[in-house]
Amino acid sequence: MRRRLRPLAARAALAVTGGSVLAFLVVPVLTVIPMSLSASMVFELIPTTPGFTQYQRFFASREWMLALGRSVQVALGVMVVATLLGTLAALGLRRLATRSRRLLEAALIAPRIVPSIVFAVAVYYVFAAAGLVGTVAGLVLAHSVLAFPFVVVFVGSALHGVDPALEEASLSLGAGPVATFARVTFPQIRLAVFGSALFAFNVSFDEVVVTLFISGVRAKTLPVKVWDAIFYEITPILPAISTVIIVASLVVLTPLLLVRRRA
Amino acid sequence: MRRATLARVVLLGPPLAFLLLVFALPLVRVVWGSVFAPGFTLEFYERMWRTPVYGRVFWITLKISLLTTIGAALLGYPAAYFLASVKPRTRQVLLLCVIVPFFLSVLVRNYVWMVLLQRTGLVNRLLLDWGVVGAPLDLMYNELGVLIAMVNMLLPYMIFPVLSALLAIPPELRHASASLGAHPAKTFWRVTLPLSAPGVAAGGLLVFIVSLGFFITPALLGGPKQMMVSNLIEFSVRQVLNWPFAFALANTLLLGTLLLYAIYVRTLEGRMPRAAGLP
Repeated sequence: MRRRLRPLAARAALAVTGGSVLAFLVVPVLTVIPMSLSASMVFELIPTTPGFTQYQRFFASREWMLALGRSVQVALGVMVVATLLGTLAALGLRRLATRSRRLLEAALIAPRIVPSIVFAVAVYYVFAAAGLVGTVAGLVLAHSVLAFPFVVVFVGSALHGVDPALEEASLSLGAGPVATFARVTFPQIRLAVFGSALFAFNVSFDEVVVTLFISGVRAKTLPVKVWDAIFYEITPILPAISTVIIVASLVVLTPLLLVRRRA
Repeated sequence: MRRATLARVVLLGPPLAFLLLVFALPLVRVVWGSVFAPGFTLEFYERMWRTPVYGRVFWITLKISLLTTIGAALLGYPAAYFLASVKPRTRQVLLLCVIVPFFLSVLVRNYVWMVLLQRTGLVNRLLLDWGVVGAPLDLMYNELGVLIAMVNMLLPYMIFPVLSALLAIPPELRHASASLGAHPAKTFWRVTLPLSAPGVAAGGLLVFIVSLGFFITPALLGGPKQMMVSNLIEFSVRQVLNWPFAFALANTLLLGTLLLYAIYVRTLEGRMPRAAGLP
Protein backbone atom coordinates (compact mmCIF):
# COMPACT_ATOMS: atom_id res chain seq x y z
CA MET A 1 0.00 0.00 0.00
CA ARG A 2 2.74 2.44 0.90
CA ARG A 3 4.51 1.70 -2.35
CA ARG A 4 1.39 2.66 -4.28
CA LEU A 5 0.65 5.72 -2.21
CA ARG A 6 4.02 7.31 -2.60
CA PRO A 7 4.06 7.54 -6.40
CA LEU A 8 0.51 8.86 -6.25
CA ALA A 9 1.52 11.58 -3.79
CA ALA A 10 4.53 12.38 -5.93
CA ARG A 11 2.37 12.62 -9.04
CA ALA A 12 -0.08 14.92 -7.24
CA ALA A 13 2.77 17.14 -6.03
CA LEU A 14 4.15 17.30 -9.56
CA ALA A 15 0.75 18.19 -11.03
CA VAL A 16 0.24 20.94 -8.44
CA THR A 17 3.72 22.42 -8.97
CA GLY A 18 3.59 22.15 -12.76
CA GLY A 19 0.02 23.42 -12.86
CA SER A 20 0.93 26.42 -10.69
CA VAL A 21 3.74 27.41 -13.03
CA LEU A 22 1.41 27.14 -16.03
CA ALA A 23 -1.15 29.25 -14.15
CA PHE A 24 1.58 31.79 -13.38
CA LEU A 25 2.14 32.06 -17.14
CA VAL A 26 -1.50 32.49 -18.15
CA VAL A 27 -3.53 33.95 -15.31
CA PRO A 28 -1.84 37.33 -14.73
CA VAL A 29 -2.42 38.56 -18.27
CA LEU A 30 -6.07 37.46 -18.10
CA THR A 31 -6.78 39.59 -15.01
CA VAL A 32 -6.76 42.60 -17.31
CA ILE A 33 -10.11 41.51 -18.74
CA PRO A 34 -12.23 41.90 -15.55
CA MET A 35 -10.28 45.07 -14.75
CA SER A 36 -11.29 46.55 -18.10
CA LEU A 37 -14.98 46.24 -17.26
CA SER A 38 -14.72 48.66 -14.37
CA ALA A 39 -16.26 52.08 -14.45
CA SER A 40 -14.38 53.14 -11.34
CA MET A 41 -10.95 54.73 -11.07
CA VAL A 42 -9.59 52.23 -8.54
CA PHE A 43 -8.72 48.68 -9.35
CA GLU A 44 -11.47 46.14 -8.80
CA LEU A 45 -11.06 42.47 -9.58
CA ILE A 46 -14.82 42.09 -9.80
CA PRO A 47 -16.10 45.53 -10.79
CA THR A 48 -18.85 46.93 -8.55
CA THR A 49 -20.54 48.56 -11.52
CA PRO A 50 -19.46 46.46 -14.49
CA GLY A 51 -19.88 47.94 -17.92
CA PHE A 52 -18.17 48.92 -21.12
CA THR A 53 -17.55 52.53 -20.14
CA GLN A 54 -13.81 52.32 -20.72
CA TYR A 55 -14.27 50.70 -24.13
CA GLN A 56 -16.72 53.43 -25.11
CA ARG A 57 -14.20 56.06 -24.04
CA PHE A 58 -11.49 54.34 -26.05
CA PHE A 59 -13.49 53.99 -29.24
CA ALA A 60 -14.88 57.54 -28.91
CA SER A 61 -11.46 59.12 -28.51
CA ARG A 62 -10.12 60.62 -31.73
CA GLU A 63 -6.58 60.47 -30.42
CA TRP A 64 -6.68 56.79 -29.49
CA MET A 65 -8.43 55.89 -32.73
CA LEU A 66 -5.73 57.67 -34.72
CA ALA A 67 -3.11 55.59 -32.94
CA LEU A 68 -5.07 52.37 -33.49
CA GLY A 69 -5.54 53.20 -37.16
CA ARG A 70 -1.84 53.92 -37.56
CA SER A 71 -0.91 50.66 -35.85
CA VAL A 72 -3.15 48.68 -38.19
CA GLN A 73 -1.85 50.57 -41.21
CA VAL A 74 1.79 49.87 -40.26
CA ALA A 75 1.07 46.23 -39.42
CA LEU A 76 -0.64 45.69 -42.79
CA GLY A 77 2.37 47.22 -44.53
CA VAL A 78 4.73 44.98 -42.56
CA MET A 79 2.57 41.99 -43.43
CA VAL A 80 3.12 42.65 -47.14
CA VAL A 81 6.78 43.69 -47.05
CA ALA A 82 8.05 41.07 -44.59
CA THR A 83 6.08 38.20 -46.12
CA LEU A 84 7.17 39.07 -49.63
CA LEU A 85 10.85 39.49 -48.78
CA GLY A 86 10.90 36.56 -46.36
CA THR A 87 9.31 34.19 -48.87
CA LEU A 88 11.76 35.29 -51.57
CA ALA A 89 14.65 34.68 -49.17
CA ALA A 90 13.36 31.25 -48.16
CA LEU A 91 12.98 30.27 -51.83
CA GLY A 92 16.48 31.54 -52.59
CA LEU A 93 18.08 29.79 -49.61
CA ARG A 94 16.83 26.47 -50.91
CA ARG A 95 18.86 26.90 -54.07
CA LEU A 96 22.18 27.29 -52.28
CA ALA A 97 24.73 24.65 -51.29
CA THR A 98 24.49 23.55 -47.66
CA ARG A 99 27.51 25.53 -46.48
CA SER A 100 26.58 28.88 -47.95
CA ARG A 101 22.95 28.29 -47.03
CA ARG A 102 23.78 27.86 -43.35
CA LEU A 103 25.86 31.03 -43.35
CA LEU A 104 23.26 33.10 -45.11
CA GLU A 105 20.47 31.69 -42.96
CA ALA A 106 22.34 32.83 -39.84
CA ALA A 107 22.69 36.31 -41.35
CA LEU A 108 19.00 36.45 -42.26
CA ILE A 109 17.73 35.57 -38.80
CA ALA A 110 20.20 37.95 -37.10
CA PRO A 111 17.49 40.59 -36.45
CA ARG A 112 16.00 38.20 -33.89
CA ILE A 113 19.28 37.96 -31.97
CA VAL A 114 20.34 41.59 -31.88
CA PRO A 115 18.76 43.23 -28.78
CA SER A 116 15.86 45.49 -29.80
CA ILE A 117 17.38 48.48 -28.04
CA VAL A 118 20.55 48.21 -30.14
CA PHE A 119 18.57 48.06 -33.37
CA ALA A 120 16.34 50.87 -32.08
CA VAL A 121 19.25 53.26 -31.50
CA ALA A 122 20.90 52.29 -34.78
CA VAL A 123 17.83 52.70 -36.93
CA TYR A 124 16.82 55.91 -35.12
CA TYR A 125 20.15 57.50 -35.96
CA VAL A 126 20.04 56.50 -39.62
CA PHE A 127 16.33 57.30 -40.03
CA ALA A 128 16.80 60.73 -38.45
CA ALA A 129 19.35 61.56 -41.14
CA ALA A 130 17.09 60.13 -43.86
CA GLY A 131 13.98 61.99 -42.67
CA LEU A 132 12.15 58.75 -41.90
CA VAL A 133 11.52 59.37 -38.20
CA GLY A 134 7.83 59.90 -37.49
CA THR A 135 6.68 58.39 -40.79
CA VAL A 136 4.56 55.32 -41.46
CA ALA A 137 7.05 54.24 -44.13
CA GLY A 138 9.87 54.30 -41.57
CA LEU A 139 7.84 52.21 -39.14
CA VAL A 140 6.97 49.68 -41.85
CA LEU A 141 10.63 49.33 -42.84
CA ALA A 142 11.90 48.91 -39.27
CA HIS A 143 9.15 46.50 -38.20
CA SER A 144 9.67 44.47 -41.35
CA VAL A 145 13.27 43.83 -40.30
CA LEU A 146 11.96 42.35 -37.03
CA ALA A 147 9.21 40.26 -38.65
CA PHE A 148 11.30 39.07 -41.59
CA PRO A 149 13.22 36.26 -39.81
CA PHE A 150 9.98 34.56 -38.71
CA VAL A 151 8.79 34.42 -42.31
CA VAL A 152 12.12 32.96 -43.46
CA VAL A 153 11.96 30.26 -40.79
CA PHE A 154 8.24 29.37 -41.23
CA VAL A 155 8.27 29.34 -45.03
CA GLY A 156 11.68 27.68 -45.02
CA SER A 157 10.44 24.78 -42.93
CA ALA A 158 7.37 24.41 -45.15
CA LEU A 159 9.68 24.27 -48.18
CA HIS A 160 11.45 21.30 -46.63
CA GLY A 161 8.32 19.32 -47.37
CA VAL A 162 8.24 20.30 -51.05
CA ASP A 163 9.69 17.69 -53.37
CA PRO A 164 12.04 19.43 -55.87
CA ALA A 165 11.28 16.68 -58.39
CA LEU A 166 7.77 18.09 -58.84
CA GLU A 167 9.17 21.51 -59.69
CA GLU A 168 11.74 20.01 -62.05
CA ALA A 169 9.01 18.06 -63.77
CA SER A 170 6.97 21.22 -64.21
CA LEU A 171 9.97 23.08 -65.61
CA SER A 172 10.93 20.28 -67.97
CA LEU A 173 7.37 20.15 -69.26
CA GLY A 174 7.77 23.72 -70.43
CA ALA A 175 6.23 25.77 -67.63
CA GLY A 176 8.25 28.89 -66.80
CA PRO A 177 9.71 29.49 -63.33
CA VAL A 178 6.88 31.86 -62.40
CA ALA A 179 4.16 29.45 -63.52
CA THR A 180 5.93 26.62 -61.72
CA PHE A 181 5.99 28.64 -58.52
CA ALA A 182 2.35 29.65 -58.82
CA ARG A 183 1.02 26.22 -59.80
CA VAL A 184 3.38 23.78 -58.06
CA THR A 185 5.37 25.35 -55.22
CA PHE A 186 3.01 27.95 -53.79
CA PRO A 187 0.00 25.66 -53.25
CA GLN A 188 2.22 23.47 -51.06
CA ILE A 189 3.54 26.31 -48.89
CA ARG A 190 0.38 28.44 -48.91
CA LEU A 191 -0.49 27.84 -45.26
CA ALA A 192 3.01 28.77 -44.08
CA VAL A 193 2.99 31.95 -46.18
CA PHE A 194 -0.40 33.10 -44.87
CA GLY A 195 0.54 32.03 -41.35
CA SER A 196 3.74 34.05 -41.41
CA ALA A 197 1.84 37.01 -42.81
CA LEU A 198 -0.44 36.91 -39.75
CA PHE A 199 2.57 36.50 -37.51
CA ALA A 200 4.29 39.48 -39.14
CA PHE A 201 1.16 41.55 -38.50
CA ASN A 202 1.28 40.61 -34.83
CA VAL A 203 5.00 41.37 -34.47
CA SER A 204 4.43 44.86 -35.82
CA PHE A 205 1.18 45.49 -33.94
CA ASP A 206 2.85 44.75 -30.56
CA GLU A 207 6.26 46.34 -31.19
CA VAL A 208 7.26 48.98 -28.62
CA VAL A 209 11.00 49.44 -28.18
CA VAL A 210 12.00 50.36 -31.73
CA THR A 211 8.77 52.28 -32.25
CA LEU A 212 9.39 54.42 -29.14
CA PHE A 213 12.47 55.80 -30.86
CA ILE A 214 11.35 56.20 -34.46
CA SER A 215 7.69 57.13 -34.14
CA GLY A 216 8.58 60.69 -33.13
CA VAL A 217 5.62 62.79 -32.06
CA ARG A 218 3.82 62.47 -35.36
CA ALA A 219 3.44 58.74 -35.87
CA LYS A 220 2.66 57.27 -32.44
CA THR A 221 1.29 53.76 -32.63
CA LEU A 222 -1.12 52.24 -30.15
CA PRO A 223 1.58 50.57 -27.97
CA VAL A 224 3.57 53.82 -27.86
CA LYS A 225 0.48 55.76 -26.78
CA VAL A 226 -0.08 53.11 -24.09
CA TRP A 227 3.54 53.50 -22.99
CA ASP A 228 3.09 57.27 -22.68
CA ALA A 229 -0.16 56.81 -20.78
CA ILE A 230 1.48 54.42 -18.31
CA PHE A 231 4.09 57.06 -17.50
CA TYR A 232 2.25 60.33 -17.75
CA GLU A 233 -1.40 59.84 -16.90
CA ILE A 234 -3.24 57.53 -14.57
CA THR A 235 -6.26 56.45 -16.49
CA PRO A 236 -8.64 53.52 -16.05
CA ILE A 237 -8.84 53.27 -19.84
CA LEU A 238 -5.61 51.26 -20.07
CA PRO A 239 -7.03 47.85 -19.06
CA ALA A 240 -9.64 48.20 -21.80
CA ILE A 241 -7.01 49.11 -24.40
CA SER A 242 -4.80 46.27 -23.15
CA THR A 243 -7.70 43.89 -23.65
CA VAL A 244 -8.21 45.17 -27.19
CA ILE A 245 -4.51 44.60 -27.95
CA ILE A 246 -4.60 41.08 -26.51
CA VAL A 247 -7.81 40.15 -28.30
CA ALA A 248 -6.37 41.47 -31.58
CA SER A 249 -3.33 39.19 -31.13
CA LEU A 250 -5.52 36.22 -30.26
CA VAL A 251 -7.73 36.77 -33.30
CA VAL A 252 -4.69 37.03 -35.55
CA LEU A 253 -2.87 34.06 -34.04
CA THR A 254 -5.73 31.57 -33.58
CA PRO A 255 -5.61 30.39 -37.20
CA LEU A 256 -1.88 29.78 -36.73
CA LEU A 257 -2.44 27.60 -33.67
CA LEU A 258 -5.20 25.68 -35.42
CA VAL A 259 -2.93 25.00 -38.39
CA ARG A 260 -0.16 23.91 -36.04
CA ARG A 261 -2.41 21.40 -34.36
CA ARG A 262 -3.56 19.96 -37.65
CA ALA A 263 -0.03 19.68 -39.00
CA MET B 1 24.25 34.57 -66.68
CA ARG B 2 23.30 30.98 -66.01
CA ARG B 3 19.68 30.43 -65.24
CA ALA B 4 20.34 29.02 -61.77
CA THR B 5 22.51 31.99 -60.83
CA LEU B 6 19.89 34.38 -62.16
CA ALA B 7 17.24 32.72 -60.01
CA ARG B 8 19.40 33.09 -56.90
CA VAL B 9 20.05 36.76 -57.60
CA VAL B 10 16.38 37.49 -58.24
CA LEU B 11 15.27 35.62 -55.12
CA LEU B 12 17.97 36.65 -52.65
CA GLY B 13 18.80 40.10 -54.03
CA PRO B 14 15.81 42.07 -52.73
CA PRO B 15 15.77 40.61 -49.18
CA LEU B 16 19.53 41.00 -48.84
CA ALA B 17 19.48 44.56 -50.15
CA PHE B 18 16.68 45.35 -47.71
CA LEU B 19 18.49 43.89 -44.69
CA LEU B 20 21.72 45.56 -45.71
CA LEU B 21 20.12 49.00 -45.89
CA VAL B 22 17.70 48.90 -42.95
CA PHE B 23 19.53 46.50 -40.61
CA ALA B 24 23.25 46.02 -41.30
CA LEU B 25 24.07 49.59 -42.30
CA PRO B 26 22.56 51.16 -39.14
CA LEU B 27 24.41 48.63 -36.99
CA VAL B 28 27.70 49.35 -38.73
CA ARG B 29 27.01 53.02 -38.07
CA VAL B 30 26.72 52.21 -34.33
CA VAL B 31 30.04 50.39 -34.27
CA TRP B 32 31.69 53.17 -36.28
CA GLY B 33 30.15 55.95 -34.22
CA SER B 34 31.39 54.44 -30.98
CA VAL B 35 35.05 54.75 -31.97
CA PHE B 36 35.16 57.65 -34.46
CA ALA B 37 33.99 61.00 -33.13
CA PRO B 38 35.24 62.15 -35.64
CA GLY B 39 38.84 60.93 -35.13
CA PHE B 40 39.56 57.50 -33.69
CA THR B 41 38.99 57.42 -29.93
CA LEU B 42 38.26 54.93 -27.20
CA GLU B 43 37.15 57.74 -24.93
CA PHE B 44 33.56 56.52 -24.70
CA TYR B 45 34.47 52.96 -23.82
CA GLU B 46 36.92 54.25 -21.27
CA ARG B 47 34.24 56.41 -19.71
CA MET B 48 31.90 53.45 -19.61
CA TRP B 49 34.36 51.35 -17.64
CA ARG B 50 35.93 54.10 -15.54
CA THR B 51 32.75 55.72 -14.24
CA PRO B 52 31.49 53.72 -11.26
CA VAL B 53 27.84 54.60 -11.97
CA TYR B 54 27.99 53.01 -15.41
CA GLY B 55 30.01 50.05 -14.22
CA ARG B 56 27.25 49.42 -11.71
CA VAL B 57 24.65 49.38 -14.49
CA PHE B 58 26.56 46.54 -16.13
CA TRP B 59 26.78 44.63 -12.86
CA ILE B 60 23.06 45.08 -12.23
CA THR B 61 22.31 43.87 -15.76
CA LEU B 62 24.39 40.72 -15.21
CA LYS B 63 22.94 40.15 -11.75
CA ILE B 64 19.31 40.53 -12.83
CA SER B 65 19.91 38.32 -15.87
CA LEU B 66 21.52 35.64 -13.73
CA LEU B 67 18.75 35.71 -11.12
CA THR B 68 16.14 35.59 -13.89
CA THR B 69 17.89 32.54 -15.35
CA ILE B 70 17.92 30.79 -11.96
CA GLY B 71 14.28 31.66 -11.36
CA ALA B 72 13.29 30.42 -14.82
CA ALA B 73 15.14 27.14 -14.22
CA LEU B 74 13.56 26.60 -10.80
CA LEU B 75 10.04 27.20 -12.14
CA GLY B 76 10.55 25.92 -15.66
CA TYR B 77 11.99 22.52 -14.82
CA PRO B 78 9.02 21.24 -12.78
CA ALA B 79 6.64 22.67 -15.39
CA ALA B 80 8.48 20.87 -18.18
CA TYR B 81 8.67 17.69 -16.11
CA PHE B 82 4.93 17.86 -15.53
CA LEU B 83 4.27 18.47 -19.25
CA ALA B 84 6.49 15.51 -20.13
CA SER B 85 4.61 13.25 -17.72
CA VAL B 86 1.09 13.77 -19.13
CA LYS B 87 -0.49 12.13 -22.18
CA PRO B 88 0.49 13.71 -25.53
CA ARG B 89 -3.05 14.97 -26.11
CA THR B 90 -3.22 16.69 -22.71
CA ARG B 91 0.26 18.05 -23.34
CA GLN B 92 -0.83 19.67 -26.61
CA VAL B 93 -3.59 21.51 -24.76
CA LEU B 94 -1.46 22.48 -21.75
CA LEU B 95 1.29 23.74 -24.04
CA LEU B 96 -1.09 26.47 -25.15
CA CYS B 97 -0.58 27.95 -21.64
CA VAL B 98 3.08 28.37 -22.57
CA ILE B 99 2.75 29.33 -26.22
CA VAL B 100 -0.15 31.80 -26.20
CA PRO B 101 1.10 34.29 -23.56
CA PHE B 102 4.50 34.17 -25.28
CA PHE B 103 2.96 35.82 -28.34
CA LEU B 104 0.92 38.42 -26.49
CA SER B 105 2.07 42.01 -26.21
CA VAL B 106 5.07 42.33 -23.91
CA LEU B 107 4.00 45.85 -23.03
CA VAL B 108 0.55 44.74 -21.93
CA ARG B 109 1.98 41.90 -19.86
CA ASN B 110 4.36 44.30 -18.09
CA TYR B 111 1.56 46.76 -17.51
CA VAL B 112 -0.57 44.01 -15.96
CA TRP B 113 2.26 43.18 -13.58
CA MET B 114 2.43 46.85 -12.58
CA VAL B 115 -1.27 46.80 -11.73
CA LEU B 116 -1.05 43.49 -9.87
CA LEU B 117 2.10 44.26 -7.88
CA GLN B 118 1.42 47.84 -6.77
CA ARG B 119 0.75 48.52 -3.08
CA THR B 120 -3.00 48.53 -3.62
CA GLY B 121 -2.79 45.76 -6.24
CA LEU B 122 -4.37 42.36 -6.30
CA VAL B 123 -1.38 40.47 -4.93
CA ASN B 124 -1.09 42.69 -1.86
CA ARG B 125 -4.86 42.61 -1.40
CA LEU B 126 -4.91 38.82 -1.35
CA LEU B 127 -1.92 38.64 0.99
CA LEU B 128 -3.63 41.06 3.38
CA ASP B 129 -7.00 39.31 3.18
CA TRP B 130 -5.48 35.93 3.88
CA GLY B 131 -3.55 37.38 6.78
CA VAL B 132 -0.18 36.45 5.29
CA VAL B 133 1.14 39.96 5.85
CA GLY B 134 0.08 42.79 8.13
CA ALA B 135 0.94 45.67 5.81
CA PRO B 136 1.22 45.86 2.01
CA LEU B 137 4.59 44.74 0.64
CA ASP B 138 6.74 46.69 -1.81
CA LEU B 139 6.56 44.33 -4.75
CA MET B 140 7.56 46.72 -7.51
CA TYR B 141 9.93 49.59 -8.29
CA ASN B 142 12.53 47.18 -6.92
CA GLU B 143 14.48 44.10 -7.96
CA LEU B 144 11.72 41.71 -6.88
CA GLY B 145 9.19 43.27 -9.25
CA VAL B 146 11.63 43.14 -12.17
CA LEU B 147 12.45 39.50 -11.44
CA ILE B 148 8.82 38.38 -11.13
CA ALA B 149 7.90 39.92 -14.48
CA MET B 150 11.09 38.84 -16.27
CA VAL B 151 10.79 35.23 -15.12
CA ASN B 152 7.14 35.30 -16.17
CA MET B 153 8.06 36.53 -19.63
CA LEU B 154 11.10 34.35 -20.24
CA LEU B 155 9.87 31.02 -18.83
CA PRO B 156 8.92 29.64 -22.29
CA TYR B 157 12.58 29.91 -23.38
CA MET B 158 13.38 27.49 -20.54
CA ILE B 159 10.36 25.20 -20.74
CA PHE B 160 10.69 24.29 -24.43
CA PRO B 161 14.31 23.06 -24.46
CA VAL B 162 13.89 21.23 -21.13
CA LEU B 163 10.69 19.61 -22.34
CA SER B 164 12.24 18.42 -25.57
CA ALA B 165 15.23 17.04 -23.64
CA LEU B 166 12.89 15.20 -21.25
CA LEU B 167 10.76 13.79 -24.06
CA ALA B 168 13.86 12.51 -25.82
CA ILE B 169 14.82 10.28 -22.86
CA PRO B 170 13.78 6.71 -23.71
CA PRO B 171 11.27 5.56 -21.04
CA GLU B 172 13.06 2.19 -20.96
CA LEU B 173 15.96 3.82 -19.13
CA ARG B 174 13.71 4.82 -16.24
CA HIS B 175 12.01 1.44 -16.23
CA ALA B 176 15.38 -0.27 -16.17
CA SER B 177 16.53 1.89 -13.29
CA ALA B 178 13.34 1.14 -11.36
CA SER B 179 13.41 -2.58 -12.08
CA LEU B 180 17.01 -2.71 -10.84
CA GLY B 181 15.65 -1.48 -7.52
CA ALA B 182 16.38 2.26 -7.66
CA HIS B 183 14.02 4.47 -5.72
CA PRO B 184 12.15 6.96 -7.98
CA ALA B 185 14.13 9.82 -6.42
CA LYS B 186 17.37 8.02 -7.21
CA THR B 187 16.22 7.36 -10.77
CA PHE B 188 15.50 11.07 -11.11
CA TRP B 189 18.92 12.12 -9.78
CA ARG B 190 20.94 9.51 -11.64
CA VAL B 191 19.03 9.15 -14.93
CA THR B 192 16.49 11.86 -15.70
CA LEU B 193 18.28 14.95 -14.40
CA PRO B 194 21.68 14.25 -16.04
CA LEU B 195 20.01 13.42 -19.36
CA SER B 196 17.90 16.59 -19.32
CA ALA B 197 20.80 18.80 -18.21
CA PRO B 198 21.63 19.91 -21.80
CA GLY B 199 18.07 21.19 -22.07
CA VAL B 200 18.49 23.21 -18.88
CA ALA B 201 21.81 24.56 -20.14
CA ALA B 202 20.34 25.55 -23.50
CA GLY B 203 17.27 27.13 -21.92
CA GLY B 204 19.36 28.88 -19.30
CA LEU B 205 21.71 30.38 -21.84
CA LEU B 206 18.79 31.58 -23.97
CA VAL B 207 17.05 33.16 -20.98
CA PHE B 208 20.29 34.85 -19.95
CA ILE B 209 20.95 36.20 -23.45
CA VAL B 210 17.46 37.63 -23.85
CA SER B 211 17.54 39.04 -20.30
CA LEU B 212 20.66 41.07 -21.03
CA GLY B 213 18.77 43.23 -23.54
CA PHE B 214 15.58 43.68 -21.50
CA PHE B 215 14.27 47.20 -21.61
CA ILE B 216 10.53 47.41 -20.94
CA THR B 217 10.41 45.47 -17.65
CA PRO B 218 13.16 47.37 -15.79
CA ALA B 219 11.71 50.64 -17.11
CA LEU B 220 8.21 49.88 -15.84
CA LEU B 221 8.71 47.68 -12.79
CA GLY B 222 12.18 48.65 -11.62
CA GLY B 223 13.36 51.59 -9.59
CA PRO B 224 16.42 53.76 -10.25
CA LYS B 225 18.61 50.99 -8.83
CA GLN B 226 17.36 48.51 -11.43
CA MET B 227 18.51 50.51 -14.44
CA MET B 228 19.85 47.99 -16.96
CA VAL B 229 22.15 48.62 -19.93
CA SER B 230 19.18 49.03 -22.31
CA ASN B 231 17.67 51.70 -20.09
CA LEU B 232 20.98 53.53 -19.88
CA ILE B 233 21.20 53.46 -23.68
CA GLU B 234 17.73 54.96 -23.99
CA PHE B 235 18.57 57.56 -21.36
CA SER B 236 21.76 58.55 -23.18
CA VAL B 237 20.00 58.96 -26.50
CA ARG B 238 16.66 60.46 -25.55
CA GLN B 239 17.46 62.45 -22.41
CA VAL B 240 21.06 63.61 -22.76
CA LEU B 241 21.57 63.15 -26.54
CA ASN B 242 25.02 61.66 -26.02
CA TRP B 243 25.12 59.57 -29.19
CA PRO B 244 28.72 58.29 -29.15
CA PHE B 245 28.34 57.14 -25.55
CA ALA B 246 25.04 55.40 -26.38
CA PHE B 247 26.78 53.78 -29.36
CA ALA B 248 29.57 52.48 -27.10
CA LEU B 249 27.01 51.01 -24.70
CA ALA B 250 24.94 49.52 -27.52
CA ASN B 251 28.03 48.05 -29.12
CA THR B 252 29.10 46.44 -25.84
CA LEU B 253 25.64 44.93 -25.35
CA LEU B 254 25.63 43.73 -28.96
CA LEU B 255 29.05 42.09 -28.69
CA GLY B 256 28.16 40.38 -25.42
CA THR B 257 24.92 39.06 -26.89
CA LEU B 258 26.54 37.81 -30.10
CA LEU B 259 29.38 36.15 -28.19
CA LEU B 260 27.00 34.27 -25.91
CA TYR B 261 24.80 33.37 -28.86
CA ALA B 262 27.82 31.96 -30.72
CA ILE B 263 28.61 29.85 -27.66
CA TYR B 264 25.01 28.68 -27.60
CA VAL B 265 25.05 27.66 -31.26
CA ARG B 266 28.46 26.00 -31.01
CA THR B 267 27.96 24.01 -27.82
CA LEU B 268 24.28 23.41 -27.28
CA GLU B 269 22.01 24.00 -30.23
CA GLY B 270 23.24 21.11 -32.36
CA ARG B 271 23.12 18.65 -29.49
CA MET B 272 19.62 19.53 -28.45
CA PRO B 273 17.30 16.69 -29.32
CA ARG B 274 14.19 17.90 -31.10
CA ALA B 275 11.22 15.99 -29.83
CA ALA B 276 8.20 15.57 -32.05
CA GLY B 277 5.16 17.71 -31.47
CA LEU B 278 6.98 20.82 -30.36
CA PRO B 279 7.04 24.13 -32.19
